[in-house]
Amino acid sequence: MAFHRGQKVEIFHKSEDESWEEHMDQLVGRHGIITDPDTTKNDPDALIEVSVEGKGTHRFPQDCLRLLAD
Amino acid sequence: MPVTTCPVSQSITQLDETLNSSRLKNPKSRRMVEELRRLLNDIAWGRAGEEHLAFVQSLSQALIDEGPDAAGKAIGTTLQSVLRDHREVFLSHIKTHNCLTGDCVRLVPAPCQMACPAGIDVPTYVNLIGRGQDAEAVEVIRRDNPFPWVCGLICTRPCEFMCVRGRIDQPISIKFLKAFAAERAVSDRRYRNPAQAPDRGRRVAVIGAGPGGMTAAYYLALQGYKVTVFEALPVAGGMMMLGIPRYRLPREVIDREAAMLEDLGVEFRFKTRYGRDVTWEGLKSEGFQAIFLAIGAHESLKLYIPGEDDFPQVIEAVDFLRRVALGDHRVPGKRAVIVGGGNVAIDAARTCLRLGSEEVIIAYRRTRVEMPADVEELDQAEEEGILLSFLTMPKAILGRDDQLTGLLCLRAEMIRKEGSDRLSPVAVEGSEFLIEADTVISAIGQRIGLECLDDLKNLKWSRRQTIQANPVTLETSIPGVFAGGDAVTGPATVVEAIGAGKRAAGAIDRYLSGIPQPKMPPVPVRRGRVDWLEVPAGTKMTLRRPEMPLLNLERRRITFQQVELGYSENAVREEARRCLRCDICLRCGKCVEVCRDLMGIDALQFGFLNFDHPALTDFRLTAERCILCGACAANCPNQALRIIDRGGERLLSYCGTIVNREKLEHCRECDAVLGPLRYLEFLLKRTQGVSPILTDRTLCQACARKQTARAQVEIQPA
Repeated sequence: MAFHRGQKVEIFHKSEDESWEEHMDQLVGRHGIITDPDTTKNDPDALIEVSVEGKGTHRFPQDCLRLLAD
Repeated sequence: MPVTTCPVSQSITQLDETLNSSRLKNPKSRRMVEELRRLLNDIAWGRAGEEHLAFVQSLSQALIDEGPDAAGKAIGTTLQSVLRDHREVFLSHIKTHNCLTGDCVRLVPAPCQMACPAGIDVPTYVNLIGRGQDAEAVEVIRRDNPFPWVCGLICTRPCEFMCVRGRIDQPISIKFLKAFAAERAVSDRRYRNPAQAPDRGRRVAVIGAGPGGMTAAYYLALQGYKVTVFEALPVAGGMMMLGIPRYRLPREVIDREAAMLEDLGVEFRFKTRYGRDVTWEGLKSEGFQAIFLAIGAHESLKLYIPGEDDFPQVIEAVDFLRRVALGDHRVPGKRAVIVGGGNVAIDAARTCLRLGSEEVIIAYRRTRVEMPADVEELDQAEEEGILLSFLTMPKAILGRDDQLTGLLCLRAEMIRKEGSDRLSPVAVEGSEFLIEADTVISAIGQRIGLECLDDLKNLKWSRRQTIQANPVTLETSIPGVFAGGDAVTGPATVVEAIGAGKRAAGAIDRYLSGIPQPKMPPVPVRRGRVDWLEVPAGTKMTLRRPEMPLLNLERRRITFQQVELGYSENAVREEARRCLRCDICLRCGKCVEVCRDLMGIDALQFGFLNFDHPALTDFRLTAERCILCGACAANCPNQALRIIDRGGERLLSYCGTIVNREKLEHCRECDAVLGPLRYLEFLLKRTQGVSPILTDRTLCQACARKQTARAQVEIQPA
């Protein structure tokens, strides 16, 4: 799944990626908007920026994100 | 463990329970508990000073020591225990005017502020701009971001994606408002640095004069540290200067804002490369006690195709943009092909065009839908005449006698590979075709240059080949060495680097002061609570986000003049009036529920309250059904809705938007305010069965009683 700026996503589970931090556990289940996808080369391994509703902006590995229908 | 319920709010509830029960027998204990309630309320409302906490501490101790009441002793003990376990949360409420859990409703930051990686108090500065207080707005911004002008021009604006107004029509144009205010403040000579703390006599080294490095330098200098920034290039700005072309971000803007750091005493040592000219050991011997690595990600990824290393006309986009930024304005080639689909590819293509290339083609191996570049950038590039070749995979670079002649490509098709939910480009056999060119620019990504950090033997790296740093404190595996920005995240945004620089400054200050580091990311700080701007509902709904005027196309194709020309003053002031003030309205929806379910009126069409499924919002529709009863205002936890009697009218204001207004009726006997006619009719309808005597709606209750009493006296036999 290639993510684009402005898409709504859900952090649907924890990621096993090394970039997943303990404080991100509380964000599982929350919804947000992609604010900075990988703007270089559509790399599925790139960390992408998501603004989570009420919880600030963070970079997540893509395997913990899923798109929400509009 | 993260705190999910607010200890401040919880303590207030416990004090309330104690006060409302009959357990407090002793008047002295009751007075002390009431005083504690007031102090905690101040903390929850963001109006406490640091001395509040000491008073809470001593008063709760006094309840235990002196209070003869068992209930007083119990609540005192509870409070002491809460203060012991959650002292930082109480302090954070006092210092940041923020409540992370949202329980202290007055202190919840707006979604735009929460979204900003630098944590700028957006509603405050947008409303100051709306009032024409541009310099004051810039002061608010610069408390969290030393580069308001830069960010006003090139920020990726996460704030606008979270802007609640965007659920109604278009988000507030936050970025361009910021650019306007910064430009005004500079032009009016009112762009100033905040007050600086006294010199601490301690030195910090910052490696890299990019947005992250300079931000860390700014905040450290404000805290009284002596900061030296080491930069390999001859100019400050990092990727802002080298990676972003001048038609998007003029050099003067960066120079101006970088110069503000020099005013704070920050020393810049240009043409000084870390690893070659300076090392951590050497810096320590010079007296530096901490170092912040903000070296960015300046190395290009290679195409790895035959011919790539054989022709001098194959260049890397970052090198190309750097050369142009440093003044080399030679035409790269008449026919330029740029390989890649990201923002850097677009920047390189538009730069080639401006330097005089006659044909510029972007070759991208996927389709337009997958293209990762910003849509606005892509639109502008196409307007300027850049050609796009999709589903195009480079196979080899061809040429003869040191002269490149073209890029051999394969046609691709998008295929879903087994076990993947992504479509991947796969070359079609035998589909070779040639794009004639005399320059090929590769723009397929950047990485950080690891080699310069060879002296830091114990520095740990992530599997993405970035520096491993704690995301909260930016500490690396080496004590005293901090790292942030692209070197840690990989290529990211300017505003993220600024946020990292600010975090690093805080962490370095704690490290040098011997204070424990935080476990959670910082909370954005509320910088004020500016009064809202009053706007009629009709205006609020019909005001449109202004279009950005652009430089004419001919000039865009041949010069590096700024493409976006900026808003007019009138457009800026009007745009600020569209702001919904989400720092005040928390979108809890109580108003809608009360109006619909308890009052049975359903006047509030506030569909924007729902993040996932926003429905219709029209502030104008409120006036169709609203009876101005005030139930919504009475139930609003944050006074976002207010009933105001003014000029013979009753108004319902939603964060300054006048959603309804009606003429007030007065008692014909005593002239007391009765309320608007629709409200009186509503009351009449509701009370008809209960009190048929109240049929005269032009009398207040008191006068109606008097009249009834008189009537009864008259009909009583003497």
